[in-house]
Amino acid sequence: MSGRRLPVYLLLDTSGSMNGEPIESVRVGLESLLSSLRQNPYALESVHLCIVTFDLDVKVVMPLTHLAEVRLPEIRCPASGATMIGAGLEKILELVKADSRPSAPDAKGDWRPLLFVMTDGKPSDTAAWLDAAPRIRSAGFASVIACAAGIKADPQSLRILTDTVVSLDTMDSSTFASFFTWVSAAVTSGSSSAGSAAPALPPPPPEINLVL
Amino acid sequence: MTEVVRIKALDGTLVEFENEVRASGGMKDVYFSPDRRTVVAFFRGQSDQATRERIEVITGAYREKIFGQEGGDYLKGLFRWPTAMVEWNGRLGMVIPFYDSNYFFEHGSKNGDMLGIKGKEKDGKWFASASNRARFLDSRELGDWRTHLQVCLLVSRAVRRMHAAGLAHSDLSYKNVLIDPTSGRACLIDIDGLVVPGKFPPEVVGTPDFIAPEVVATANLDRTNPARKLPSRSTDQHALAVLVYMYLFYRHPLRGDKIHDVDPMVDEELAMGSKALWVENPTDTSNRIDPTKARTAELPWKDTTRIPHTIAGPYLSALFTRAFVQGLSDPTARPTADEWETALVRTMDLLQPCRNPSCEQKWFVFDNTVEPKCPFCGTPFHGMLPVLNLYSSSVEGSFRPDDQRLMVYSGQSLFPWHANRNLVPNEKLRAEFKKRVGYFLFHEEAWYLVNEALPELFDAKTKTAIPVGGRVELVDGGQILLSKENGGRLVVVQLVHST
Repeated sequence: MSGRRLPVYLLLDTSGSMNGEPIESVRVGLESLLSSLRQNPYALESVHLCIVTFDLDVKVVMPLTHLAEVRLPEIRCPASGATMIGAGLEKILELVKADSRPSAPDAKGDWRPLLFVMTDGKPSDTAAWLDAAPRIRSAGFASVIACAAGIKADPQSLRILTDTVVSLDTMDSSTFASFFTWVSAAVTSGSSSAGSAAPALPPPPPEINLVL
Repeated sequence: MTEVVRIKALDGTLVEFENEVRASGGMKDVYFSPDRRTVVAFFRGQSDQATRERIEVITGAYREKIFGQEGGDYLKGLFRWPTAMVEWNGRLGMVIPFYDSNYFFEHGSKNGDMLGIKGKEKDGKWFASASNRARFLDSRELGDWRTHLQVCLLVSRAVRRMHAAGLAHSDLSYKNVLIDPTSGRACLIDIDGLVVPGKFPPEVVGTPDFIAPEVVATANLDRTNPARKLPSRSTDQHALAVLVYMYLFYRHPLRGDKIHDVDPMVDEELAMGSKALWVENPTDTSNRIDPTKARTAELPWKDTTRIPHTIAGPYLSALFTRAFVQGLSDPTARPTADEWETALVRTMDLLQPCRNPSCEQKWFVFDNTVEPKCPFCGTPFHGMLPVLNLYSSSVEGSFRPDDQRLMVYSGQSLFPWHANRNLVPNEKLRAEFKKRVGYFLFHEEAWYLVNEALPELFDAKTKTAIPVGGRVELVDGGQILLSKENGGRLVVVQLVHST
């Protein structure tokens, strides 16, 4: 017997506007997310991470990997370009389907996956976005958290995707750090309380505005 | 410089803390005192009257009841018990002693602390998981099987004391029990969730892995529904049994291979609730763990054939069977904390050091065979192994077995509670009875008991008194009277020759 996996998908915006300090801050945030998850004995038993980025293209920069084996890939940002979030979500749906290890009569399946989506702008592929977002809601995620970063992002539009939308006013490293700390707490509570009840989200740090 | 807040506690004492949140739990924020000897934990948001009343009796009447009595000082090491209730900016809080430094990782993880956990709290989950132990923890943090038995003993003792006072912890889990396997110490924290008689129970159901099956099975019912089961002493007893099992076998007693439902959430609820089934159930084998599917790091622990619960010896095996066969559906069948404590004390006396210097567990329980071997590394014992069977008399001159044994090894000690049935090694034992009264020595192919402080030691076979400073050889069938007092013990020696 091997324990159940808790798949965690991160879908990150790498469109042109993220270039420079914002993407650096995301990288720092990811590093601290990783190290804080690795300090958690519950997460180490179950968490698997997958990172997908979207700009004009959608890239699976890291396929679903056990927390202990994760080597953070380099995340690049084109100097300018579109925000193909709809295509990004489509890729997530495809990956979840391919990765998922459902329960079989003789093997324990995965926990329901978690999805974190971070974007700093509006979808360029509106039709694809409007098509994919509602399907995310019914794709069996345990929870989906969307993060609207910076002033150009529209927290309200992300509500098609999920009821849990956080908005970051600034895109400096301390803001991203507090967001990723929260992601880590959310994943951790998922990995230690997975089961008997739906994991409750920890309260977001004071710097983050929860859009409800 | 962080601002230091000075306020008066409810009992009038001065409380100081730095105005900076240093840690956050599910319901509380924690602040440190400037001298780092205490912390102040404040509930987030408003606390209701029920919580206020509960904290008041926990920091007041119950604290005095437990720590104000004989053995109170000893018990202080087993709990981080809130000492005073405070209020600040409309938030309710309490003053709690800081943890000792041994509850923080000294070395942390392998390869020069690759995970960066040095200095972090020793969450029990690290030690209760075979894969975390094998893959991540620095071997200097792991302790051995004896220190794990000691940890279990101290946890049982703390729970027993709490239950004796009428209290239930309500959320015993590896998160709320700090352990230090290197020194064999343990300490209960998060005492504020106690179920206090006559007060409203706290709003917790417990931590997954430790919630009693009847609580899981009725968790969806309304709190006012009489069929809903809430945390109590009997649910603590389930959690305690799970803790002891996990700290000794590094696997969960109910997490086997049986699939109850294809939906993982429903499966989990059934496996921990109404369909709970022990992975080692003697008759229903449907939840056995298939070791061929386990990860290498989880072996041999996930192989219940190689490491069955019976390696913990007869006293603990009987309790595991009660807890996880009858006790899952019948809460009254669960062993009490007192029974766990007694069984663990007796089991410690059955330990033998493993002959293999690189054995990771270092100690094992004598398997009552003529060819004993370490169940962890398989190293057989060679040579002469004395087993002392303890008898005591209720009528003068007639001795009956106490179902208690002491295994002998070089350096093993004999204590007053071995010499007299009426002495119990717990927090109430007076200092004068804590000193050893004899020890064992292997010298020129023979085993001896050396008398250090047993004025009445008497070799009943040869009818000779053994004075303090003298020694008596341990021979097969030998009978040695340790004390002539009321409750005094007679030792009957069995000698195992293993080649």
